[in-house]
Amino acid sequence: MSHSFRLAAALAAIVLVLALVSLTVGPAGLSPRTALAGLLGGEGPAGIIVREIRLPRTLLAILIGATLGLAGAALQGLLRNPLAEPALFGAPQAAAAAASLVIAFRFAPATSFAVPFAGIAGALISIGGLVAIAGRRASLTVTLLAGLALASFAGAATALVLNLAPNPFIALEVAFWLLGSLEDRSVDHLVVAAPFCVASWVLLASQARAFRALTLGEDAAASLGVDIARVRTLVVTGVAVGVGAAVAVAGSIGFVGLVAPHLVRRFVNADPARVLLPAALTGAALLAAADIAVRAIPAAIELKVGVVTALIGVPFFLAMIFSERRMLEGAPT
Amino acid sequence: MTLMVAENVSVRLAQRTVVAQASLSLDRGELVALVGPNGAGKTTLMRALAGLLPAQGAIAFDGKPIDVIGPRERARLVAYLPQGHLFHWPMPVASIVALGREPHSDPFARRTAQDRAAVARALAATGTEAFAARPVTTLSGGERARVALARALATEAPLLFADEPTAALDPRHQLVVMGLLREAAHGGNAVLAILHDLTLAARFADRVVVMERGRLVADGAPDMALAGERVAAVFGVEIASVEIDGARVPLLHRPL
Repeated sequence: MSHSFRLAAALAAIVLVLALVSLTVGPAGLSPRTALAGLLGGEGPAGIIVREIRLPRTLLAILIGATLGLAGAALQGLLRNPLAEPALFGAPQAAAAAASLVIAFRFAPATSFAVPFAGIAGALISIGGLVAIAGRRASLTVTLLAGLALASFAGAATALVLNLAPNPFIALEVAFWLLGSLEDRSVDHLVVAAPFCVASWVLLASQARAFRALTLGEDAAASLGVDIARVRTLVVTGVAVGVGAAVAVAGSIGFVGLVAPHLVRRFVNADPARVLLPAALTGAALLAAADIAVRAIPAAIELKVGVVTALIGVPFFLAMIFSERRMLEGAPT
Repeated sequence: MTLMVAENVSVRLAQRTVVAQASLSLDRGELVALVGPNGAGKTTLMRALAGLLPAQGAIAFDGKPIDVIGPRERARLVAYLPQGHLFHWPMPVASIVALGREPHSDPFARRTAQDRAAVARALAATGTEAFAARPVTTLSGGERARVALARALATEAPLLFADEPTAALDPRHQLVVMGLLREAAHGGNAVLAILHDLTLAARFADRVVVMERGRLVADGAPDMALAGERVAAVFGVEIASVEIDGARVPLLHRPL
């Protein structure tokens, strides 16, 4: 059994355990045994609660966590930078701006395919713009500044939508949705998000070998037969489709894409191709764990999972900046 | 045997002609140095010859025009070593060198015995076996330069293009890297190397090509191409000549 396979198997086992725990957590106070019986076709309220409320929520956490973890790892592979993360480049913010426009003005029902399509369009504009601005050298400063500008613009666009929302109740609804949550999600949300997430997995995983060649820079990778323009297009599309769909059903959940690849990179010898699967599984585990935490933490109002990932992710990001500051200052390594 | 022929190659970048009407051929068994002042267009010409930049004119490998060669086949014909010996991820040296086999493997295929043998040969040739398992980012500049070269050698392409392979290296490593390039050439490949050090160019190259403002202004034996008057005209430098191993090589004297 190869090292990579053992790592993936261990991570998958963690995801499975977290999924089972997730099914037993919630305000109904079902015992684990009752919850599992409910999952396996038990009649009565336990079956309804577990199968129609907790199971879609759990599956969405895994689906979206995996998508965000993989999107982060892929973007890092493309830009050769461990600090790349869709949220730093304004992707979820842009997706949220476009999706909130659709929701606030009732252009379409909140669980229709129009919302993910709007989210994907927003994410496509921001990630596509970023990669175009980053150019061949993909310098860290240019990339991060462009990301900051795009994220700020997307934030302003969202503020405009809230500002012009037809009534305050809708504005409040959109504002809460923006915080990022898996609460009260149904099978409908799962059906809307899953095809896009799977499409994004296929697109991003297909570029694994290109990420490995890109460790030598774009020119050397091109000289090895990698079609750089094609890789960029496919990765931008893959990240936008995944992040756009995730935002459309769960609002803005950031930093999973930054943290997940970082946690597993050392176990794959920093190989940007082999990190993809473990990063996806770690993303799934992280979001599932965060979503268990928001339900387990006793609070009068349930915490939003997007708030929790940001509260954990941003200090983590700062710690990464601190440990990488020699590289960031351009010191020779 | 001629491995590459380029005729009247021109490259325009941002409305500016960077390479104008360059014609150059490379034969099996020779190390050719491409020299010229900063901004002469050396890197642009090399990238165009490697098929990494669109260019006007005709480029052919083994008699086959570059535009009918797909990117993967081209990658098997030309190994390109860019400036700077860049490694973005702290991957082990052996994995870096194995990237040189990328053009030979199918998308889903595992590495073959042939791939492993080529990687082992490249590590041995460059004396990098000792740190094959170490993360490449922990190596010194000289070690990295050898790893970068090993990666290019692992492709076992008949043509090797190296852009300033000795830049930022200590004197000993400059000689080591030039020796490795000459070995690769004399082993049956054609090597084109951009160099700034005219002494190294004259000492190691079989032929020197001089580039000035986008044009190739000399192409011939080192003592001919790097004659005092030409170096003065192209580089604005007066040279002294010294004899090493029976060959006359230029030494920088003073700016003109």
